[in-house]
Amino acid sequence: MSENELSSLVVKEGKKGGAEDVAATCVTEDVKMIRFANNEITVSKAWLLSTINFMIVFKKRVAIASITDLSEGSIKKAVHSLLEIAKSTKPNREYERLPRGPFNYISNPTSESIQTSRLVEYTKDAINGALSIGAKRVAGTLLFNNINTKIETSTGASGYDIGSSLEISVRAFTNSEASGQANQCARRERDFFPSKAGQAAAEIAKEASNPVEGKPGKYNVILGPNVFANLINEVISATSAFNVDSGLSFLKGMLGKRVASSSLTLIDDGTITDGINSRAFDDEGVPTRRTEIIKDGILRSYLHNSSTAKKFKSSSTGNAGWIVPQPWNIIINKGHDDFQNLLSELDDGLYITNNWYTRFQDYRAGDFSTVCRDGLFKIKKGKIDQSIKGLRISDNMPRMLRNIHLLSSKQNWIKWWEVETPTLTPHALIKNVNLTKSLM
Amino acid sequence: MEDLAQSAVNYSTSLGSTYAEARVQKDLGNSTVMKNGKPQFSGFLREAGIGIRLIINGSLGFASTNNLTQEGIKDTILSAASMARFAAASMKKPIKLSNLKINRAKWEVKQRHKFGSIDVEKKIKLLQNIDKLFRIKSDVKFPSRILSINENLREQIFLNSEGTYITSKVPRVSFLYFMTAYKPSKGTAQRFNKKAESSGWEAILSWDLTEFVSQEINVLASILTKAKRPPRDKTDVILGSEVTGIVCHESCGHPFEADRILGREAAAAGESFVNMKMLGKRIGSKTVNIIDDPTIPSSYGYYLYDDEGVQASRRELIKEGIINEFLHNRETSAELGIQSNGAARAISYDREPIIRMSNTYMDKGDYNQQELFKAISKGVYIKSFMEWNIDDRRYNQRYVGLEAYFIKNGEPKYLIRNPVIEMTTPSLFKSIDAVGKDISFSAATCGKGDPQQGVPVWTGGPDIRLRNVKIGEA
Repeated sequence: MSENELSSLVVKEGKKGGAEDVAATCVTEDVKMIRFANNEITVSKAWLLSTINFMIVFKKRVAIASITDLSEGSIKKAVHSLLEIAKSTKPNREYERLPRGPFNYISNPTSESIQTSRLVEYTKDAINGALSIGAKRVAGTLLFNNINTKIETSTGASGYDIGSSLEISVRAFTNSEASGQANQCARRERDFFPSKAGQAAAEIAKEASNPVEGKPGKYNVILGPNVFANLINEVISATSAFNVDSGLSFLKGMLGKRVASSSLTLIDDGTITDGINSRAFDDEGVPTRRTEIIKDGILRSYLHNSSTAKKFKSSSTGNAGWIVPQPWNIIINKGHDDFQNLLSELDDGLYITNNWYTRFQDYRAGDFSTVCRDGLFKIKKGKIDQSIKGLRISDNMPRMLRNIHLLSSKQNWIKWWEVETPTLTPHALIKNVNLTKSLM
Repeated sequence: MEDLAQSAVNYSTSLGSTYAEARVQKDLGNSTVMKNGKPQFSGFLREAGIGIRLIINGSLGFASTNNLTQEGIKDTILSAASMARFAAASMKKPIKLSNLKINRAKWEVKQRHKFGSIDVEKKIKLLQNIDKLFRIKSDVKFPSRILSINENLREQIFLNSEGTYITSKVPRVSFLYFMTAYKPSKGTAQRFNKKAESSGWEAILSWDLTEFVSQEINVLASILTKAKRPPRDKTDVILGSEVTGIVCHESCGHPFEADRILGREAAAAGESFVNMKMLGKRIGSKTVNIIDDPTIPSSYGYYLYDDEGVQASRRELIKEGIINEFLHNRETSAELGIQSNGAARAISYDREPIIRMSNTYMDKGDYNQQELFKAISKGVYIKSFMEWNIDDRRYNQRYVGLEAYFIKNGEPKYLIRNPVIEMTTPSLFKSIDAVGKDISFSAATCGKGDPQQGVPVWTGGPDIRLRNVKIGEA
C-alpha cells in the first residue's frame, strides 16, 4: 500500500469504529549519515524507515499510537486497539476537535537524491578544509535526510510533503583543549559547503590554542551563532503553549508584555524555502505559516495546536504536535552591526563560540546554566586578547533576554546536536552575563 | 525473525564483509500522561526492525530498516555497504574488533504482571489518586504538574557471523513526575524525577507511589517556604545518594568510556580528561570505589549480554581511588589489545551499539548516617538536585542542590536554597573522606551518540562526605 492508502486506511478504520476525530501521518525516511573522528570515517550509516503515527479521539478521550508494521492487517488491529484504549480512558476536557479541511497547502518540494560516493567526498572536504587551516584532529557528522510525510484527518485534511536536506557538524582540534565547532545545513546540494564548515571550525580552534583559566564574574559577552541558537531554542520551547501550561516556561502571563530588549524579533516559520525543517502542514493538517513570536522585544504569540489555542482563547499557529506544539524553523531577525562592530563594543568582555548542556534549576523562573565549550575568548578593547577555558553561563533567561544589546547583520543557519530546531541566527552582544567556574 | 537476521548476516558476508551482525528487535510501549489533573492521552508504541553492522575492507557500516522483508533488508544493507566501501578507500587504519568467544544464550527478566495486563483505567486511577495529593492544605499551591506512567517490553534476537546467538526479553516500567510549587511571596520551586526498573507492573506496586509523592510534595513546599540562603565559605558537605549517583555517572562513568577517550565521540558528546595512560593513577581518595554493573537484578540498566553479544560483567572503574578499568566495546578493546567488558548498548533496532553505562554507583563504605554527620560541626547536606551540567571533557561540573540542609554540630538544622557545588572532577573525588553503608539508586536516561540514544540507567551510591568544599549559590 502507498503512504496515501495507509493514512486513509487508519482514518477509515477509526471512523468506522466510532472515533470522533482521527489524524494519521505516514512518515518515510531515507537517511544516510557518516560520522568521523581523528580525521577518519568511523562509521557509515543508512536507514530506510516507515512509520505511521495516529491519534484517535472518542468523546474527547485522546489516544495516540506509533507503529512500524505497515501491513493492512496490522494497521487495522492497531487502530482497533487504540480505539479500545480511547474508549477506556477519561475525557481530556481541554481537547478541541480537529480543524475542518480541506486545506490548500503551498507545496515547496525540495527533494534531491544523492550518491553515496558524494557523501564520502563531502566528508573528506570537511576534514581537509579543517586540516588546511591547521587543525590536527577533525571530528564530525554528515547527515543526508530525505523525508516524505503524508497526512490524512477525519475532518478532511489531506496533504503530502517531501523534503531533503544536508547537514554537517565539524569539530576541529589543535590540541585536546583547543577546539572549534562549525556547521552547515542546506535544503539543496548547491547551497551546501562542508569544507567551509571545516575551515570555520579550524579557525576557531587555532585561535583557541593554549587556553588559560577564565575568571568568573559579570561580563558583556558576544554569543556566537551556536550559543545564541541554543539559548533561543530554549526560549521557543518556553513559548509552546503546552509548556506554558505545564510550568515549563518563564513566559507564562507575558503575552503582550516586554520579554526582551527591542533588538529581539523571533519568528517561527514552517514555510521558508531554505528552512530544513519546513513542512506544508502540521500534525492536525493545518497549513504551516510564519508566526511572529517576539516582535521588538514584545511577546506576541505562543505556539499552538487547536487544543492549546482553545485553552488560551487563541487560534492554531500551525504548530501541532497533537499534544505539544513544536516549532518548525526559528528565525532571529538580524541587527545592523557587523561582527567587528560588536567586538569593538567590548572593552573587557568575552566571546563564546559554543556551548552545551543547558539545564534549568527552575523553568518557571528561567534560572539556568550552560557550559562554554570550544573557543572561548577574552576580549580587550575590541580585540581578542586571550583564549580561556573553564567557564559556564549561570544566569536567568528573562534577564539575559532583556540585556540583549546588539545583534550582528550576518546570520547563519544552525542545527546540530545541541540545537534541535534549525535556527537562523546572528551573533548577539548581551550585557552583564554571569559567568561562573569551578571553585576548586 | 531469526531467519531474517541470519539472512541479513549471510547477505552482508556475501558482499565481502569480514564481520556482520544483525539485531532484530521488537519494542512495545504503553504510556499514560496526566497534566494538571487532566488525562492528556494514553497510547502505545509498536515497533520492530533490524539493525545490521558490517565491516567491509576495514570500514564499519550500519544499516537499519523496519521493512522486514528480504528485499527491504537487502536494499538497506547495500546502501550502508556501499558507503562503507567508499569510506574504506580513504581509511588509514582499518577497524578491528577484539576476539569474542562464541556465546549462545537466552536471557530474560521475568514479570509477575505481564506487559499490557494492566488496563488504562487502572493507570489513570493511579495517576488521579497521586494528583489529588497536590491539594494539600497549605498556602503553597502546585499549579503545574505532569505525571506519566510507562511500561515497555523489548524482545531481541542478536546473531553474528562468528556464531554468537543471543535472545533476550526485558520489560521496563517507569513513573515520571514534574511539579511546580508556588507561593506568591516566594516564587516557585520545581522538581523533575522518575522511578524506573527492569520489571513488570509489580515494581510500580512496590514503590507505594502515593506515599512517595506525598513526601516529595511536602519537601518541595518546605523548600519554597522555609529554605534560607546557603553558607558561602568553605565547608564540609554530605552528598545524598541521588547526588552521589549523578556524580558517579557524569564524572566517572562518562570520562571512562573508551570511545570518548579515543576521540570517536569528539564531535558531539565530547572527549575525556582521562587518557589511557592514566590507568593505575590516583584520581580520588582511598574511600572512592565506583562500579558500573549491568547485572544488578531488576535494575533499570540491566542486561546480561550487551548488544555485541559480549557477556555483561561488573566493572570496577575506580578502586580505592585508583583508575582501574574503562568501559569498552569490541572496537576500543581491540585497539588496546584487550577483551571487551561488554558495555556496547543500542536503544533500538535503528541505532548503532556504542559504549554506554548501565548502573553506575559508588560502592558502600563503613559509615552509618549518624557517623557521617557527627564529625561535621558546620556544613551542608545536599540530598537532591535539579540543575546540573559538566563540560564535554568531564572535568568541570556543577550541581545545584534542591533539598538541602545546613548542618550544625552533626545535625541537619534547616533547609537551604540552591546551594551550588562547582568543582573539578579530581578535586571532588579527592575531597571525599567518608562513604556511607546504605546504597540506593535513582533512575535516569543517559544521552549520547549521533543520532541521540537515551538509554535507561541507574545511578546511585550511599551518602558521602566531602571535606572543605567551597559552596556557591544559584
